[in-house]
Amino acid sequence: MRPRRQKIIKLRRKAETKMTAIILVVIVVVAIAAAVYYLQFARKPVKTIKIGYVAPFTGPAAEFGTNGWRGISIALEEINEEGINIGGATYKIEIIRYDDRCEPSEAAAAARRLILEDKVVALLGSHCSSCCMAVAPLCDEYKVPGITIECAADAVTSPGHEYYFRMRPSMGLMAPLITPVIVEKLNPSTVAFIAVDDDYGRSFVESFKTELSKSNVETVYEAYFERGTTDYYPYLTSIKSANPDICFYVGTTPEGALILSQARELDMIPGIKFIGSEEMGEYELVKLAGNETVEDTYAISLWAPNPKIEELAAKVKEKFNAPMHYAIVFGYDALYVLVEAIKKAQSLDPVAIKNALDTIEYDGLEGHIKFEDFEVDGVQYLNQGRWVPYLIVWHNGDKELVG
Amino acid sequence: MKTIEDRIKTVPPTKLIPLIIFAILMIIVPVFASGYILFVAVLALLYASLAASYDLLFGYTGQLSFCHGAFYGIGAYTAAILTVRFGFTFWEALIPTCLLVGVLATIIGYPALRLRGAYFAVTTFFLAHFIYLILLNEVELTGGPLGFRGINPPEPIGFISFDSLSTYYYLVVVFFIIVVLFLYTLVNSNLGLILISIREDEVLAESMGINTAVYKLLAFVIGAVIAGLAGAFFAHFFRLLHPTTFSWLLSEMVVIITLVGGAGTLIGPIFGAGIVTFLLEFLRFAPELRYVGWAAALIVILIFEPKGLIGLLERVRAQIKKKG
Amino acid sequence: MTSEIIWIQLFNGITLGVIYALMGMGLTLIWSIADLPDFSQGGIYIISAYSAYFAIILLNFSYFFAIPVAIITGMAISVTFERLLYTRLRASPNAALLCAIALFFLLENIAVYLWTPKAKIMPSPTKDMILYFAGIPVSFQRILIIIVGVVLFIVINVFVKKTKIGKAIMATAQDREAAALMGINLEKVYITTWALGGALTAIAAALISPLYAVYPGMGTLPLLKGLVVVILGGMGSFIGALVAGLILGLIETFGSVYISVAYQHGFAFIILLLTLVIRPQGLFGRR
Repeated sequence: MRPRRQKIIKLRRKAETKMTAIILVVIVVVAIAAAVYYLQFARKPVKTIKIGYVAPFTGPAAEFGTNGWRGISIALEEINEEGINIGGATYKIEIIRYDDRCEPSEAAAAARRLILEDKVVALLGSHCSSCCMAVAPLCDEYKVPGITIECAADAVTSPGHEYYFRMRPSMGLMAPLITPVIVEKLNPSTVAFIAVDDDYGRSFVESFKTELSKSNVETVYEAYFERGTTDYYPYLTSIKSANPDICFYVGTTPEGALILSQARELDMIPGIKFIGSEEMGEYELVKLAGNETVEDTYAISLWAPNPKIEELAAKVKEKFNAPMHYAIVFGYDALYVLVEAIKKAQSLDPVAIKNALDTIEYDGLEGHIKFEDFEVDGVQYLNQGRWVPYLIVWHNGDKELVG
Repeated sequence: MKTIEDRIKTVPPTKLIPLIIFAILMIIVPVFASGYILFVAVLALLYASLAASYDLLFGYTGQLSFCHGAFYGIGAYTAAILTVRFGFTFWEALIPTCLLVGVLATIIGYPALRLRGAYFAVTTFFLAHFIYLILLNEVELTGGPLGFRGINPPEPIGFISFDSLSTYYYLVVVFFIIVVLFLYTLVNSNLGLILISIREDEVLAESMGINTAVYKLLAFVIGAVIAGLAGAFFAHFFRLLHPTTFSWLLSEMVVIITLVGGAGTLIGPIFGAGIVTFLLEFLRFAPELRYVGWAAALIVILIFEPKGLIGLLERVRAQIKKKG
Repeated sequence: MTSEIIWIQLFNGITLGVIYALMGMGLTLIWSIADLPDFSQGGIYIISAYSAYFAIILLNFSYFFAIPVAIITGMAISVTFERLLYTRLRASPNAALLCAIALFFLLENIAVYLWTPKAKIMPSPTKDMILYFAGIPVSFQRILIIIVGVVLFIVINVFVKKTKIGKAIMATAQDREAAALMGINLEKVYITTWALGGALTAIAAALISPLYAVYPGMGTLPLLKGLVVVILGGMGSFIGALVAGLILGLIETFGSVYISVAYQHGFAFIILLLTLVIRPQGLFGRR
């Protein structure tokens, strides 16, 4: 063969091999992707009950999903040790979790996937109120019960959905219970609010403003900050001018830590009594801000220290090397409540489970859990739990109950 | 160097076949797909409309803007406010929504487009965030972070009611097809030629007597209005609006989708939207890595194949042709 | 009481202003050399802050030794991006801008993935030292920021006016082709520019972190404010960046207290618009 023709043949072969290589790579990639996909959703030989969990694992509210998951996974381990007995057969629980980034369209997509593709019998979640409001109608539509771990906005259970349950008291229920304590112990005549600008923050301020005005406490300042703000000086200097007796600060622990340390820089503590939202009743705040910064500040706490919670805290420390957080308690309780309902229903039919949830009563770590339908001040609530939160004050890095 | 005319050729018959298959698939999806897939498909179609309309501005006219998502949001909230607070029907609300978004886009676009490339981009970046701030803070108007609820599905036309997911899916398909046909005719007309000439060399176009300011504004406004309409459809589909859905992340995603798909081809961004939406769903079980992988892929594309997936496809096809 | 508030706000405004000015100086340098608003500096801001944080927490560095750690990190990442990526995209400004944004996105999400979105508090000895000027509490951290800002401003000015590479950079900023024709090593100019940009960003991040917090989303706002500072101050002008930074910082601070705190980040946008409409070349801009 002439050298030129040889060259052409070589080039053609080169092009062919390149093409083949590309095709091979594509096939391998597709194969790996398919394998990963099927491994995730492969049929397990053991009898499993699938439960879904939709929560924020990334994004600004990520700590709630992460902590909720910690609580749930500890509960999961404990429950699966023995398994659940239904009609003579033993089942284990499998939890499928998806991230909603605290964004309602994500939560809706995740919930649909859990219900329609993964075929869960019930789902847990979400944490952000906007996501809960997106998920609740889906539970009703597809008749799969859902328990929210901790959304706070009243609207989630008022007027509420038949298939959606909430354990912790909503903002509208919490405020009337704790305000009398605040008024009695701290005797304020003026109040300021600085809160995170989301459904939680806004409903918090709304509820407490109303309750406090019933005791003639005047609101002198009210402002909202974007989640993840780190510069609170503009807000704090205005609050300092307004000079209220008490100041509510609402947000997550990092935000709270910054608010307190910046307020100390401006010499506002302890002249103004700072009262934190539920997050600020957690030890995480002390860890972030330090004992001196939180000294003599107050917070609303969703749990009072008790031996069972200490036990859980120790397990959390051991397994995740993380501090205790109320989302962990709620997650833990939520899975147990659901499992109790499944046991009570003795069935994997979502409707039966929902019926069991309607009447279940369970002593969780957070208190006595019961889902009730009731009316408060002309407002209807459906499937709502209620128990009283606590007011605490920080001394020497420890929380003490105030009334 | 290809002439402008070369770039705009009529679609050859071989390209029509995959399009027809695609169209058939779109129509029969509700038959075999679950509610979950349908839901994702509707979102994908809306994103595809966003990306295609953005491509008019970015791919064809060469203006890099980061506020496309903001118009989606404005359209969504406008339509929702009109139907919920002022009692318009969904269909009636579409016209004022178009008008409002159009007027806003004109007011914003007229001064903004006089800026050179990077300045314009930065301005639109800020604009997207500013609009987000308004959606977030004007609570009486938009419900702010508490969300805007109670939006009803569109009123029935004759006997077709839009309560169910499948009928709404078909409605969005129709909207999508109308948008695509509209944009396709636009880019293949003289207007399209003018826009491309602006993209290629704005100074030259000016010197040829083209009033670039007017045409850039036209592309900007048309793109914005389509985005606004898509937003209106989103509002009545999802029935709950929340400002976080319309943050600048959304605008960034639109840019990324258009780029990854292949800017300036109309088909590219549509594909990009489909792929991105479904890929993100697929990767739902790996939440932490989703965006890292995403950003890395984008960089790889920018370096190795700036023409996006369409460019990649063309390269592969050229390779096959070389072989044969 | 009110005059106390005004003084507090004044200090806050100047502090913020200096930080914005530092960001602006880095960005204006890169933008004037390479015609690129380098969004990736936002990502570099984040990573440098984290590097300082970990130097303190894991390696037990003192805050003052953590700052050079941040600077080195910032410079390293900046130059790497330039050599690996921006070099290839010099022909296409749109692609370079998109790449910069993608890099920013990438770095932010790497931070989220590795260190979670939860904010971390950076300890610093100067933060907790509170001085009282006529009864007004001021954290020493703020004084530190102002001092460092002024010093750096002087240093950079000396650098570009007296050193060989500095003058080369300024020449390239004015006219790239002419500079190349004059025999200036453009590659060296590019590398130095990006290194400087990264260093300035890192210093800004390390200085302000103790007052605020270290978290993955921390880069977006400083980056955007930095861009506004570049435009308001004038492309390629350091004095412009300083003045613009201070103006922006003060307007933001006072505006957020007396006008609206919800739209505090909107002031930057309004300043941007006004600049582009009234005086597009900025206060001290040349071209």
